[in-house]
Amino acid sequence: MTSRRLQQIHPPLTELSAVVSGAVVEPAAITGFDVTVSSPGRWEGSVRLEDGRTMPYLAIRDGQQIHVWIAGESFIFGPSVPVARSQRVGKNTSEDIVCPVPGVVIAVHVVADDIVEAGQDLVIIESMKTEQVVKSPRQGTVQRVSVQEGDRVDRGMRLVVLVPLTDE
Amino acid sequence: MFSKVLVANRGEIAVRVLQTLQAMDIATVAVYADPDVNSPHVRFADEAYPLGGSTAEETYLDRKKLVEVALSSGADAIHPGYGFLSENPEFSRDCTAAGLVFIGPSPETIELLGDKIRSKEAAIQAGVPVVPSSPMWVPGDSPPNDVLPHIGLPLLVKAAAGGGGRGMRLVQQESDLEQALESASREASAAFGDGRVFLERYIPFARHVEFQVLADSAGNTIHLLERECSVQRRYQKVIEETPSPALNETLRRSMAASAVAMAVSAGYTNAGTVEFLVDSQSGDYYFLEMNARIQVEHPITEETLKLDMVEWQTRIADGELITLTQDDIQSTGHALECRIYAEDPYVNFSPAVGRLMVWRPPSGMGIRLDSGVAEGQEITAYYDSMLAKLVVWGPNRRSAIGRMLRALESFPVLGVTTNIPFLLKAIVHSDFASGEYDTGFIVKHQSLTTAPESSQLQAVAVDIAEGFWQSNGSNTRGQKIDAHKATQSPWHGLVKSVFP
Repeated sequence: MTSRRLQQIHPPLTELSAVVSGAVVEPAAITGFDVTVSSPGRWEGSVRLEDGRTMPYLAIRDGQQIHVWIAGESFIFGPSVPVARSQRVGKNTSEDIVCPVPGVVIAVHVVADDIVEAGQDLVIIESMKTEQVVKSPRQGTVQRVSVQEGDRVDRGMRLVVLVPLTDE
Repeated sequence: MFSKVLVANRGEIAVRVLQTLQAMDIATVAVYADPDVNSPHVRFADEAYPLGGSTAEETYLDRKKLVEVALSSGADAIHPGYGFLSENPEFSRDCTAAGLVFIGPSPETIELLGDKIRSKEAAIQAGVPVVPSSPMWVPGDSPPNDVLPHIGLPLLVKAAAGGGGRGMRLVQQESDLEQALESASREASAAFGDGRVFLERYIPFARHVEFQVLADSAGNTIHLLERECSVQRRYQKVIEETPSPALNETLRRSMAASAVAMAVSAGYTNAGTVEFLVDSQSGDYYFLEMNARIQVEHPITEETLKLDMVEWQTRIADGELITLTQDDIQSTGHALECRIYAEDPYVNFSPAVGRLMVWRPPSGMGIRLDSGVAEGQEITAYYDSMLAKLVVWGPNRRSAIGRMLRALESFPVLGVTTNIPFLLKAIVHSDFASGEYDTGFIVKHQSLTTAPESSQLQAVAVDIAEGFWQSNGSNTRGQKIDAHKATQSPWHGLVKSVFP
């Protein structure tokens, strides 16, 4: 059995399924597919079904990612991240609140040292003419605000750093 | 007839309008913002001029630049498409003042209909039922808590200049009202340059059904039947169909008469749409608003009536009278539209950007794609996230759904996340198949927006990705591997199962 080198990036896997089938993807059955077009950037072919029908697929490479389209569903895979680097939720670990969408910051509702509640509005982003409210995922103290009104932001960019409240 | 027309828009609607103009043998002018330089509408037009800038404000919303380009290119009319300046009375006036024909209703009509309060008054005068609402609110005013007993909770905050769900908020409790007013006003201000908002009674389990109307300068007004638009996310339509499964002949006739009465009351000319909420429990209907422009979902009407709406818009603007009579309007078969959005259905439909590395639209009988993008194009966060509209026609509803299913499952898109997986699940959902759905459809059925935990399809995708990754770009080696024992298109047999 070949060891798996990729993990699924999209659609996002829930924590449970990531453990079951994400980082260590072990498909249940042996897959059969043809490669009819092959180049460094692209694979195309078909998956043959038991009932005789075939289903086309298309895979492309984009840098360190593989995008696969098959029967209306799309998947993105990337190299597996070693377990040691995966995020651990420690008691005093700070957490980056990242931007969910590309766009422009139109409001920042917190400043450093603010104590925020879970669900509290942190930053509002306008993207594709729609407002996206970034809320705090949990209670904590704002350690740092990395953006200001008018900033152009990208998906994954850090907006706010949150640290857990100390119990003492 | 006009000899040259400028299309003051971008994306699929610009392409759509250009197609009709070219078929009518009218020369075409396109305009574009910097990020759109490689867009299909730019290549498709006879002439294309840059507007200089990236944001909508600097480009497609800049009235002065648009009129200048129209004049210098020798155009005699402007088609505004939808969105942007399509319902801006000042733009319509600018055009007229410059000696250009604005393809749409008069500025007075646009003003009347753009004002949600005045348009409601016009509806009441025409004997059309309306939803209870409050006066306008602007930032600085105190929250209109005094009207709450009349409107009730939950309620909707809506933008005076609204459209497309922008500047709209659902308020469950009184304490959330102030924040909702401010946020809706800010969003409305950014989208329409008008921050006025108001409160309206929220009707849960409502269906959203609209009637297309057509009126000429002599006042001849006919309706072009309805479009069912209840599948919505964030108050924005996603799937539309005609005929509506919610209407019986009596209700249809009554709503159609209301739509025509509304158009006449507003002094409407050209193509317009009267939107209604239908209370699926009582069967009552209420006037919502009238849109003074071509609607995104107009193709389903075109497919079932076999007419070209943009051609009628152009002919009416040129002073022609409508030669169709109400009796000529006979619908054939069933049409469905799925809007293809660049967004992630599994992450709250949040907008997605990127380069369209693969974009291969399906084709075949009854399939139409109105698209404004091409493979290789960069999708940016500057504009709306709608990439294209997939429209199918079939002799009946079941066949239309079957064709849509096939079209969606043979539409490879890679590089930009789209809502196609959601659309596939939605159209085969039992509530959609039975026709018994309302505006709560997406929220009610969370399975539609939940990523599949693990599926056979995913297993196949993993194997393909691993194989491709490990081949490391090596040359063709036609693999012949045994048929997969358990793999099956997840959509296979679904039409049969939902229509026993």
